[in-house]
Amino acid sequence: MGGEHLSWIEWLGAQSLVALGKGLVLCAEIAAVVLPLMILYEVIEARGILKGSWKGAERWLKPLGLGPRAIIPLMAGVWLGLLYGAGIVVATSEREGLDKRQRLSIALMLAMCHAIVEDTAIFAVLGASVIGILLPRVALAVMVGVMLGWWWARTAPGRGS
Amino acid sequence: MNTTPTPFKSALARCGRFLLFLLRGVLPWYVASHLLLTSGWLAKAASHLGGFMDIWGLPPEAAAAVAAGMGANLYAAAAVAAALGLSWKQLTVMGVMLGVAHSLPVEHAVLVELVGKARAAALTTTRIVVGAIAGWAVSICLG
Repeated sequence: MGGEHLSWIEWLGAQSLVALGKGLVLCAEIAAVVLPLMILYEVIEARGILKGSWKGAERWLKPLGLGPRAIIPLMAGVWLGLLYGAGIVVATSEREGLDKRQRLSIALMLAMCHAIVEDTAIFAVLGASVIGILLPRVALAVMVGVMLGWWWARTAPGRGS
Repeated sequence: MNTTPTPFKSALARCGRFLLFLLRGVLPWYVASHLLLTSGWLAKAASHLGGFMDIWGLPPEAAAAVAAGMGANLYAAAAVAAALGLSWKQLTVMGVMLGVAHSLPVEHAVLVELVGKARAAALTTTRIVVGAIAGWAVSICLG
């Protein structure tokens, strides 16, 4: 009994160490991808290179209840995913001063559809249909975005971006 | 003396905060996911879900892949699914289900950072429900 108990603790200790090691590697991998992007974005933004770049996106984002500045966190999440995009999604949401409603819209849309290339590829490699996976996820994200946008517009008429 | 932070300095500050978030928000959930997966608890939980897999046109063994995807990550799910010899339709259904609802513990930490604890909990629950419904709808569409 005591031996069994000890071995269980030993297992937990050993596996926790393995998990910690793997987790730290994952964090380092994420940081290696995300940190350069964050620095690049900050420098580009400070130099005004992005100024006015998102004007065209405004009419697409409006039905979703989002302002033009929401395009960066949204695109970061869609392409990089929630985990790898987290740095950009969270930092740009703060930096661009997105309100709670826009943050919730972004979070809900990204919850439905993020990392579209990586996530789809994992199952496509096994033989799943690319369109069959992509279409419902994108449709869901747009649907919930439009519904929330409509709801925000109803509950707060005249709200700007 | 100019005290305005340079873009580089402000980027570094954000990077520091992000690193802290990775260590405090992501790492513990990753460790928990790993322990759930390697201890067999996830498989045990999945064995109870086997009977429900028919709803999505999946065999009972697919529950292990679904649980691995939701509790750990898509790579773990794919590793389990690969061994099951599923058809392209079944893989597509699983891809949609898990596409919406995967890596729930770790990604929940990101949602907490973005919208706060209460809303993140609601969002994570929504992901599970919507993922299940979307998977079911796709299984109906694909016949």
